[in-house]
Amino acid sequence: MRESAKQIREGSVKSEPGTDVAESEARIGVFLLRESGEASPALDIPALAEYATHLPGVIAVRTVAASSAMDPEKLAADIRKTKFNTIVLAANHPGFYKPAFTRALSLAGYDGSRVRLASFAERGDVANANRARATLLSAVQGTPFAPEVKPAPDPFNTATLVIGGGVAGIQAALEIAESGNKVYIVERTGTIGGRMAMFDKTFPTLDCAACILTPKMVAVSQNPNIELLVLSEVQEVSGSFGQFQVKVLKHATRVDAAACVACGDCARFCPVTTASEFDMGIATRKGIFIPFPQAVPNTYMIDPTYCTWVLSDGKKCGACAKKCSKGAVHLDAKDETVEIAVGNIIVATGYDALDARRVERYGYGTYPNVLNSLEFERLTNASGPTGGKIVMKTKKLNKKTKLEEWVFEPDGPKPKAVAIIHCVGSRDKNYNPYCSRVCCMYSLKFAHLVREKLPEAKCYEYYIDMRAFGKGYEEFHERIREEGVFLVRGRSATVTDRDGQLYIHGEDTLAEHLITLPVDMVLLSVGLQPSEGSAELAEKLCIPRDGDGWFRELDYNSEPNSTGREGIYVAGVCQGPKDIPDTVAQASAAAAHALRSIVAAKAKENASVPLQTISEIAGSPARS
Amino acid sequence: MAVRANPDLIDDLERFGAKDAMKCYQCGNCSAACSHSEDPYVFPRKSMRYLQMGLEKPLRSALDPWLCYYCGKCSEQCPRGAEPGETMMGVRRWLTSEYDFTGISRLLYRSWTAELLTILTVAMLTGIGFLSFGYLGGGGNLSVYDGPGAFLPPHAIHVFDWTMGIILALLLSINCIRMWHFTMRSEHAVPVSLSLYVHYLLLLPLHFFTQKRFRHCENKTPWTNHLILMLSYLTMLTLIMVFLKEMQSGPAVNWYAHSFGYLSAIGLVTTTIFAIQGRIKKDAAYHRHSHESDWMFLGLLLFVSVTGILQHVLHRAGLPMAANITYVVHLMGVVPMLALEVPFSKWSHLAYRPLAIYFAQLQQAAQAEGAIPLGRPAKPQPVA
Repeated sequence: MRESAKQIREGSVKSEPGTDVAESEARIGVFLLRESGEASPALDIPALAEYATHLPGVIAVRTVAASSAMDPEKLAADIRKTKFNTIVLAANHPGFYKPAFTRALSLAGYDGSRVRLASFAERGDVANANRARATLLSAVQGTPFAPEVKPAPDPFNTATLVIGGGVAGIQAALEIAESGNKVYIVERTGTIGGRMAMFDKTFPTLDCAACILTPKMVAVSQNPNIELLVLSEVQEVSGSFGQFQVKVLKHATRVDAAACVACGDCARFCPVTTASEFDMGIATRKGIFIPFPQAVPNTYMIDPTYCTWVLSDGKKCGACAKKCSKGAVHLDAKDETVEIAVGNIIVATGYDALDARRVERYGYGTYPNVLNSLEFERLTNASGPTGGKIVMKTKKLNKKTKLEEWVFEPDGPKPKAVAIIHCVGSRDKNYNPYCSRVCCMYSLKFAHLVREKLPEAKCYEYYIDMRAFGKGYEEFHERIREEGVFLVRGRSATVTDRDGQLYIHGEDTLAEHLITLPVDMVLLSVGLQPSEGSAELAEKLCIPRDGDGWFRELDYNSEPNSTGREGIYVAGVCQGPKDIPDTVAQASAAAAHALRSIVAAKAKENASVPLQTISEIAGSPARS
Repeated sequence: MAVRANPDLIDDLERFGAKDAMKCYQCGNCSAACSHSEDPYVFPRKSMRYLQMGLEKPLRSALDPWLCYYCGKCSEQCPRGAEPGETMMGVRRWLTSEYDFTGISRLLYRSWTAELLTILTVAMLTGIGFLSFGYLGGGGNLSVYDGPGAFLPPHAIHVFDWTMGIILALLLSINCIRMWHFTMRSEHAVPVSLSLYVHYLLLLPLHFFTQKRFRHCENKTPWTNHLILMLSYLTMLTLIMVFLKEMQSGPAVNWYAHSFGYLSAIGLVTTTIFAIQGRIKKDAAYHRHSHESDWMFLGLLLFVSVTGILQHVLHRAGLPMAANITYVVHLMGVVPMLALEVPFSKWSHLAYRPLAIYFAQLQQAAQAEGAIPLGRPAKPQPVA
């Protein structure tokens, strides 16, 4: 035998017909191996042997006991005698015995590579007789185990749910909807737009925030693929990737959105006045209201916590319903629960500003002219209560309550000095240990707005470290410096009020002096923290949060959009503090994640070759 | 002139209790929060910076740490948990060891075992010394406490305590002179005229007896406790150093002398227990961290107070032998406590604090006189 092997190596043995045989000339020997111990009861060897004899190209079927010490020379003798040029080795784990057969084929003068494996165990379900036959058939035919025989895919829902209608939610929804797929936006407040809709300018370009955002908001309202659920909250999530079932509690707006033309007659006659959430409480709204004039949906709604009609169980008031010429007000409308089915969920719940009352030494909530950053955004916004004029609060008698209140009036006194305190509640182990990332830049933006609108006013920034990390940010920082803003390196410790004058006390760590400055207005650059209800939402969605409460991404570097759960993605600040450009980019990326699965599911559905089932293949051996 | 940095300074200071100074990111909140921090003595941030950068020389010449009373407000507000209050405490310990020329202070502060062994050794030597004196030297009788044949007669104790007092005062004075040298003769200090030294001399007793600066802290409790403790101790010291004969007489209670003793004993015991309780509970920022030397000091103080009271009670109870034994045990606590604490450890601040206030005032007065801005060399430095 050694001699013949040597002859083969040296090429002195003339190739027998069959060393390079075409499929039609295949003379196949099927070797069914009986493995001891682990033979599956469903693996009916005699039946499979019977099946194999009828397959095309099969010369003979042998049933042998599997052994690790099979003698290649004995097998070669058999091969030579029967003139097999191809061997199909069928067992649960045939690969283990392959070397002996390869060698046997070579010894017999055939191409040693023509050993095909029919592995029952590798093809899954060994208890399925049809599957075993299909496995054997593909090995005999020399075709790969047909991918078509995978079970038909579960139905994939191509709709997507976006939780949160801020700039991240809007961007993600538009990306998906504009590709022709259904999107639901669930928004807790009465309008989409989120925090960005409150801003006056964006840093570092000083673009008008509304000019960027409102066209996108209108696009959402006009896109037929987007269904917008405002005053709504996710209640329950079941199912999994591709087939989520979501229960949404939809609070009644009590105004028919289709009929309302936002004329505002109802609000004019509404007797209830309360603080406006959209204006961060520095302006008022009525009991029936629209959050802001460009709100989407552009519809009035009733706040049941203040509405006289609701509080008196329909016994009092009802002026809005009487005055509405369109008959759009339905005071008795009820909250409803809607069920939506989606394949993917994008979480974009954003942030809340830290409650500056917690940092007592800055006097927020005690001194009227100590404002947090969102309040200042509304004050300086042209659509805000003063038409964008930066003024101090003035005392005014509330005619109804007969109490004196501090309010913003467009003709109020202008501040002569404004101090901005950075890192309020950020980078502080007593509050939020992390850097909120946007405060340095929005504080510089505030300083610019103060200097622009009140050129005679002094502006002081108390910072610890100036974090101008983004594209164009350092240049913005330098620009503000050149505009005559005083940058003080040092965190101020206290804001005090002495005889109606605010004093800010801190150390200028560069000059190593303590300084006390009289100022008229103090702006607190409060940090960002996960929006209220994030913990509950994480529980409903079964997605993890990090130590600071932000939703945790699957991998910090490579999967910043994915969560621990397939089909649920995060976008924007809810994953961690970030600025508008990063939020928008991440929202588009989240949409890409969702679209990947939607497109793949649609491709499967549209595949032109009908999927074959196992029994179809196994039942038609003569197909080829 | 450039200052040479010692990068190992922070590691050294860690042994003195300044463990978290590296966390500081120099926001300056502490300096602004502190009610004692005032230009030109702005602290604790600046001292933290010296520490972080290893600027040993400026730190050694700083008066700031002695102007801090550790109310803990800075540590409470610190955004980084850098414990500026405790860092200042650690710097004070380090400064004490720097002022001390013998090196004993450094050894005791840095090694807990060395401190314990020294205390035990001194206590044993004291015990052996007084016992042998009682039996051999004075020929006294252990069962006689008072009057002729007393085991430890007051006149003999007087000789001993005055000798010890003079030695300790001498040691402390040398350290005070070194402190003056480091702080008032540093290259950044303004030269002060002799007339100014005389003019402000009254500041020393004023601040020694009243500790009125401590009262500026927002939380007044520590000042009250500290003042009661100090006055109680001073009263007791005066009674022992001057009126020991009256104190030791008995068994009848001599109200003229003893009532003072009782008051100061109550003051000592209650404030010590209060301090120990605070350090166990860690309920206030200034109690959160305890160096070994803090425990040692409080433990010794309580031990000395309790044994002192006990020997007095035993004497009144007609048990002279037990009273004598307790007296020796009491002295075994008193001697190591005073010998180690006053010149080398915690109690040296009785001198350093008033001195620092005095020196700071002198610097400011001299600066106002000469109109030379602080923080700059008084005279131009020669180019090397």
